Amino acid sequence: MKPDQIVEAVLFASDAPLRPDEIARADESLDEDAVEGALARLKTFYLESERAFQLVEVAEGYQLLTEPRFAAYLDRLETVPRPSRLSGPALEALAIIAYRQPIGRVEVEYVRGVGSSGVIRTLQDRGLIDVVGRGEGLGRPLLYGTTNYFLQHFGFRSLDDLPRPDELPVILRDRTTPILPEEEEVQQDEVHQEDLQLDDVTVEEAR
Amino acid sequence: MNGVENSDAPFMVELERFQGPLHLLLHLIREQEFDIFDIPIHNITDQFLVAVKGIGAGQLDSAGEFLEMAATLIRIKAQMLLPRPVETDGEDPRAELVRRLLEYEQIREITQRMERAEAERARRRPKGYLEDRPRPSPEELPLETTWEEVLAAAMGVKTPEPVDREHRVTPRTVSMEEKAILILDRLSRDSGVEFGSLLTSVQDDVQRMHGVMTFLAGLELSRRRRVHLRQTRPFHELWLYRRDEPGSGAGAVDDEFSDGIDDFAARVRAGALPAPTPEDQS
Repeated sequence: MKPDQIVEAVLFASDAPLRPDEIARADESLDEDAVEGALARLKTFYLESERAFQLVEVAEGYQLLTEPRFAAYLDRLETVPRPSRLSGPALEALAIIAYRQPIGRVEVEYVRGVGSSGVIRTLQDRGLIDVVGRGEGLGRPLLYGTTNYFLQHFGFRSLDDLPRPDELPVILRDRTTPILPEEEEVQQDEVHQEDLQLDDVTVEEAR
Repeated sequence: MNGVENSDAPFMVELERFQGPLHLLLHLIREQEFDIFDIPIHNITDQFLVAVKGIGAGQLDSAGEFLEMAATLIRIKAQMLLPRPVETDGEDPRAELVRRLLEYEQIREITQRMERAEAERARRRPKGYLEDRPRPSPEELPLETTWEEVLAAAMGVKTPEPVDREHRVTPRTVSMEEKAILILDRLSRDSGVEFGSLLTSVQDDVQRMHGVMTFLAGLELSRRRRVHLRQTRPFHELWLYRRDEPGSGAGAVDDEFSDGIDDFAARVRAGALPAPTPEDQS
């Protein structure tokens, strides 16, 4: 049995992305380096032989997925499951949680300006977010963060694939008067220890 | 508020289109190309109130959030009318609202991008027939391991560097030996003494510390059979009594301590005496 074949079999049979170290558990002859090598060879092979599926890097792992151009054909068949899509409010809440994690329900509601317990429950039921801890303060509120399944659902390789605020089109106008108090921004940053600081809204250009 | 009736708001909005009051407010500002850093609060408040008036009975769930925003706008509008002291760095009443609006606008943009990512991902399909489902979390999976893995993990554990821990020793402000001498001194004159009377000369603010040390001294002397402790009922006054012929009755047992209180005090200072254990106090 060639290592490439073992890796291929594991990828084929798995219904979720697999990390190289997970694939390596399939056989004693495999280690992470061997799996990485096999994955690279398989990827080239599928690409060159123009398979309808390709080896795709997703959710910190690898998965065999069909090419997007075949979606129309697949949609005609009842037996091909259709991916579910999230509602607008759910997406909005999820975006806030993804950028601000770990974050409590109250903060999500403050950013959105609307009650969010329902959408948070939906997101949790669907496995896109989970409780990752408890915050300080009154009642030690539950804090939420995104799951690995969240990455799968959006086809992100890791959280770094989320659109960065600084690469968003500049949507803010010239800031002529210093309306925003500096201390407040600093405070906000301390409160939400996020990687991608949404609070660092750089106000530079007009659209 | 009267302005609402006369307001000729050029924008009719359907509330269902909006995720919430921030969304609506942002829409009103952006559609009319107002400067978000200089929101015409009077104008916007009126337009917002007109939109909120359209909330039907079927949307009462979301009405509260819109009304809350309306109240915020009216409050800001009122604050804008008040003169603000310039020299005291008075904050613009709109500042927090602007911050929230900008943040919300970013979230809207991100949400739209995530929606596109979701749609794109939906066009790629995994091997079929299985429900879209989340993976079980690692905690729910049964632990599968081998002794080799356990050994490797154990060998991988680094012994933590010994750290010089700093421990601050605070000197006792009240010494036990002093209290022991006090007790013995009183008992050389009277056969018994009330515990509380030993504390009469002490100021209120340090009474607790003196009380504790006097009590410990009493226990220590009792252990060394120099005094009797008597309490007739729980929580009653504690009495200390002289034991007849100090040293004689207890001498056989307590030989090494028979040198008297000076030696005891010296030992306590040198740290040579063991701390009283719970059974000593029983």
